[in-house]
Parts: sequence; C-alpha cells; structure tokens
Amino acid sequence: MLLSRVADNLYWGARYLERAEDTARVVRNFTELILDLPRGVASSWEPLLSVAGSHAEYTASHTRARESDIVRFLVADSSNGGSVVSSVAAARENLRTTREILPREAWQAVNDLYLFTSRDTESGVDRRSRARYLGRVIADCQRLDGVLSGMMRRDQAYELWRLGQMVERADMTTRVLGVRAASLLSTPPDAHDYDEVQWMGVLRSVTAMQMYQRSQRGPIQGASVVSFLLFDPTFPRSVAGCVQRIRSALGRLPNPELTLPAVDAIDALLETLPSQASDGRELDRAMERVQEALADLNECVYDTFVRVVV
Amino acid sequence: MSMAQLRTSTDTWDELLEPSGHPRAAASELVQQLQELGLAELQQRQDLAELDIVGMGITFTVYSDGRGIDRAWPFDVIPRVIAADEWRAIEVGLVQRLRAINMFIDDVYHEQRVVRDGVFPAHLLEHSVNFRKECIGVDPKFGVWAHISGSDLVRDSDGTMYVLEDNLRVPSGVSYVLENRAISKRAFADLFAKQSILPVDAYTDELNRMLSSLAPDGITEPTIAVLTPGIYNSAYFEHSFLAQRIGAALVEGIDLVVGDDDCVYMRTISGHERVHVIYRRVDDLFIDPEVFRDDSTLGVPGLMRAWRAGNVAIANAPGAGVADDKVVYAWVPDLIRYYLHEEPLLPNVPTYRCVYDDERQYVVDHIDELVVKPANESGGYGLLIGNRATRSELDETIAHIEADPRNWVAQPILSLSTVPTLCDGEIEPRHVDLRPFILSGATNYVSAGGLTRVALREGSLIVNSSQGGGSKDTWIVEA
Repeated sequence: MLLSRVADNLYWGARYLERAEDTARVVRNFTELILDLPRGVASSWEPLLSVAGSHAEYTASHTRARESDIVRFLVADSSNGGSVVSSVAAARENLRTTREILPREAWQAVNDLYLFTSRDTESGVDRRSRARYLGRVIADCQRLDGVLSGMMRRDQAYELWRLGQMVERADMTTRVLGVRAASLLSTPPDAHDYDEVQWMGVLRSVTAMQMYQRSQRGPIQGASVVSFLLFDPTFPRSVAGCVQRIRSALGRLPNPELTLPAVDAIDALLETLPSQASDGRELDRAMERVQEALADLNECVYDTFVRVVV
Repeated sequence: MSMAQLRTSTDTWDELLEPSGHPRAAASELVQQLQELGLAELQQRQDLAELDIVGMGITFTVYSDGRGIDRAWPFDVIPRVIAADEWRAIEVGLVQRLRAINMFIDDVYHEQRVVRDGVFPAHLLEHSVNFRKECIGVDPKFGVWAHISGSDLVRDSDGTMYVLEDNLRVPSGVSYVLENRAISKRAFADLFAKQSILPVDAYTDELNRMLSSLAPDGITEPTIAVLTPGIYNSAYFEHSFLAQRIGAALVEGIDLVVGDDDCVYMRTISGHERVHVIYRRVDDLFIDPEVFRDDSTLGVPGLMRAWRAGNVAIANAPGAGVADDKVVYAWVPDLIRYYLHEEPLLPNVPTYRCVYDDERQYVVDHIDELVVKPANESGGYGLLIGNRATRSELDETIAHIEADPRNWVAQPILSLSTVPTLCDGEIEPRHVDLRPFILSGATNYVSAGGLTRVALREGSLIVNSSQGGGSKDTWIVEA
C-alpha cells in the first residue's frame, strides 16, 4: 500500500537527490578537465550551465560568466532551485514526509547530507576545497543508495524511488551528450589537439571512464563514447540502461498498461538514432527529443499515481 | 580527574539526592558515576548526545514569524531516576484514574447518571467547550474514549507525587521517551549493563495491539492509519515516528475519503483502500468539516458519519476531550469514588474552582500565592504564576476571571522537584515534571516511566519545549 501523496514525495525526493549527485559529478569533473587544458582551449565554463539546463536562469541574474560565479550558482546558490544545496534541501523536505516508509538510516543519510551541504556552502565553490565538498555530496548519495539497496523491501515505495532516480539520471546523461558531446562532434577535428582529453571529460562527467575503457579496445573515439553512453544496456548511467530500469520499475507498479506506452515511446526514439554519431547538431536535436519524451513520461507517472488526490 | 559536584537546593525535593547530599537509594549507581566522570567528561557525553540528536533528525517544530522552524530536540544527559517500587504504585494509580475518566466520558454521552446523582454539576457540562453533542449515544468498543492519555505528574517539596493534569485529547511526547532512551543508552552504556533499568521500547507494540483491538467486529487484520495535521504541526516528528514504529500509514486529511458505504478509504497508487482504525492527532473540531469547523482542511468530510456507523474506530474518540479540562480535573477524585467505589490512589493538586463564589473569592484574595490557569489552554500559554507576576499582571488576570469564572481554576504554587542538570558547564538543580502515557482498551498499559521535562532556566517552572524547556531520560530502577 502506498499513498498517492507519499508516492509523489518519494518520486521527487529521488529526482532531487539524483540531480544533486549528477550536478556534483559534472561540476567536479569539469573543474578537473579545465585544469588539464592549456589557456585558450575551451576554457569557458558556460557549457556547465547548459548541461545543468540553467543557462537562461543564470543569465537573468548574472552579467559575467566567471568560474566562481557559475560554480556558486550551480552548487551553493539557494535561490537557484536546481543547485546542489537547493536539490538536497528539497529532497530532505520531501523525505520528511516519508520517514515512516524509508529505512531509518536513509533519512539519517539525507539529513547528514543536508547538514553538511548547508553548513559551509562556500567550500563547494573555492577551488581548493571544491573536489572534497562535491565528493562528499556524491558519497552521501551513494550511501543512501546503498541503504535502500541493502535494507529495503522491493515494494512500491522502492520502485517509485528507483523510477524517479532513473528518470533524472537519464535526463542528465542526455544533457551531457547534447551539450558536451555534440559540441565536440561539431568542431572540425584539426581545431583541437586535446580531443582525447575532452572526450575523457565527457565520460568522466557521468563517471563512465573506467567502464567505457573496460568495454572498448583501443584509444578513445568520439563516436564510440556517444554510443556507449546512449546504448550500452549494462552501464547503469547510459540512457538505455536507465530506460530499462524505468521499464522494470513501472512493470512492478500498478496499472503498467497506462505507463509503459510512454517508455515504449522513448525506446522507439532511441532506435531511430544512428549507431555511430557523427553530426553534433543532429545529436543535440535527438537528445532534446529524448528529454521531451522523458517529460511526457513524468507527466504520465503523475497522472497515473498522483493526480487522483487533487 | 576532578569529582563533579552535585548540589541540591534546600527548599525542594531532589529526585537524585537526599537533602544531606547523599544519593537516594535508586540513584546511587548513577550519582556515583556522575561524580567519577567529572564535569569535563560529562559535558563531552552531553555534546555527543546533542550531535546524535541532530544527526538522527530528532526535532520538534516551533512557530515564529508565521512559519514553522525545525529545532533539535532539547535533551539533558543526566537522567531522572524513580525507584521501581514507587513506580508500580504510580502505575496502579494512573490506571485507576483512567478507568474512572473513561467511565465518566461514556456516562456523559449516554445517561449522565453522574449529573442525575448530583456528583457533577449540570451547568458545567452545559458550558463545557469540549462537550460534543454529535457524540451522544455513540458506543465505542469497551466503552473507552480516551485510549491514549498523558497525565502530567509533579512532586512537591514533601515528596508527594501529584497529578497536575490529564491530557486526553492528542497528548504528545512519547516518541521522545523512546528517543531519549536510545540516546541515553549510548551516554551511559555501562550503567545499563550494571543495573536493571526498565526498558521503554514495549510502548509502541502495546499501542499497536490496543489500536488493533479497536477494529470493527470481524476485522482480524485491521489497517491502521495515523492522521496528522501535516508537516508543519509541532508534533509531526512524533506522528511520523509512531506510524513507522507500528507499521501504520501516516495520512493527512487529503489522503482519506469516506465512501457512499460510510467506510473510510485511503487514496493509494492502486486506488482506494479501506482503513479500519484511525489514530488521530488532529483536534476534534478539525476532523470532519461536515460536522465541525467547515473551514477545516485538515479533516475528512464524512468521518463522523463513518465513526457513528461503527465502520471505523477513532482514537482518541471524538468528544473524549470533555474530560480534559482543568475544571473537570477538580472532580476526578469524586469520579473515582463514584464509578469505582475506591479511594483515589494518586492525589490531585488542591484546586480552587472559580465558578464557585467562595472559591473564586479565595483566588482573588490570594492570587499572589497561586498558579492561575485557564481551563482550556494547553502548552503553558495564558498561565499565571502569582508570586512571579507584577501587580498589573495580577489585576489583568483577576479581570479575566471575573469576566468568565468557569474558564479559570487556581492551585497552590507547588515547588516542583529538581534533578541535577548540565547548565552552561555547571551541574545545577532544575525543576522537572513527568508525563507517563497510559493506553486504555480492553486492558490498560502504562509506559515504563515517561517523559521527564525540565525547566532549563534557573528557578523556572515552565517545562514546555515550546517555551524553552528541555527533557531527560526517565529511569525506573529495580532495587
């Protein structure tokens, strides 16, 4: 038995926390990448805003695009609803109403993370402490994931949690592909000498570097990176991997006949994509279509499980 | 290491120490350890306890500037100790009290024999703000209305334990009893190993058992829901905690619906699911906008209909608050004699009822020696402590009393007992009360001890957490 109101809170709690973790990964790895690149080569921090989908909000309140301003906006700015601190705070608010559902240690993990992120937000901005701050965010999210995996019955609440998590994660992977990978594909190959480093950055921002290399032979190639992040069904952060998990979650929740068509639509979209991407603009547009299909799924989940309350 | 100095004040009863400064028998192990630990180590354990409380998210909510703020639960690491022998006598007294109170409530909503027989004045019932005519003639199982109550006990300077008030509506605090124990077991693990301290954990299981027993006839595995006003309620932490411990759904009014069949259902992701027992933590007047306040968004339209039809049990039953009233309180000893033909085992604090001319005159003449209380406020608001008030505050309260005498009672100022408490790095005696929780169904159960609340400011008697009070673990120690 799961109350519709609680289902909504669980789903969004999971989305917010996944967003906090993914944003932390992207910012951390972009910071490391920029340090590797010589001055003049892709030193703009603006792609981070695009990956986070916050470009418009940022430019509305900022005139300059300095590293510290952008990182503060994405990590520490409580007026930005998508920042790490805001996402963690929102997740905690959602989980406060689900404490009787989740294992007690899950609440403690979220509460710890909230206390940590809200205490010294500037250390998430300062370059010297940034990696440690973001690393803690990632580790605490993983801790929560472990608590749920290891302690929770595979009940409706668990499946709703995974559903929210995977919808958010799929969305983030498409953003990384649509912004970072697409821009690399669009630039003529001779324009950048640091091709491999940049593609490593793409992989790292979804923590896929090591798994990519275990699954591929030879040097890093753009097209195979894109294909790995889109299609590898065994990698838990690939778009196809997330969609597969979304499908299994919905299959275990009530009324799958109402929700699975929205997943079929995403799969159909993925099938139309070329196995070897070569056109950056094409990839960017395709990722936008996947994001729209995920938004449709989000609405369908709401209509099926929650709307009856209102 | 320096020995920690424990001191007691001369004019009050201390729960751990004799007036001579020697430990009371049940507290001797604790006092010895406190002295051996020294202040620095004790402070360290206090700090660790506070970290645990923040980390475990043990909070309560206070209102300020129109919004709820989540505060860490205030806890003092030095426990309050009660000897098991004394506690057993208190338990029996509390059960006696609740049996009589429940018989009174049932009588009030049926024949009103107590009024007919001249034991309880009719006009008091007529003017009671907590009497609900909608409850007349309803027959809750076992004739029990107040299923969960929290009576406040205080100890005067001569060592007598008095019942100060009976909280019969939606008493809160029991979650903190369990949480305080979890924290104090970490702080004093060695003492728990060394002596026999009664465990408190059984409460939630007993609560579950009692609630299940209220289910409509024929339902063997009832679905139980805890009805909360929501996340901004000061006791939301507790609502969530209890739902979790008894495996019940934590619902808000919006989650429930009453069907055409007069049954109550929860709105779930699989559709409507029947609820058999509701442990409500929403005040009477808000539970059903069809019957009571129609502007309530916290309640469930039709809930009273379902309850009257016997399709759902509600604990505490609507209308139970009629006996939770500082005026009715004054009659409880009479009610015990009337219904049970027994003498009260636990004394009431002598109470002057302003509705009677002679008692009101006494209150007005002696107001600076009395605690004056409005009959229907909880949380310590509107309360006046005569010997600490200014002349104009006294006059203002007298005016309130003259305007609405029924709504005021007064009692002598008791000197609440003290327990040594860590205050700004020193151990100081601070006043405490005690709220045990009593479950009433087919049988009765009393929590092992209860919530000890402590007034943290020197000399203060106000123990409410909403007004700067703290809390302590309560140890019932077998000799």
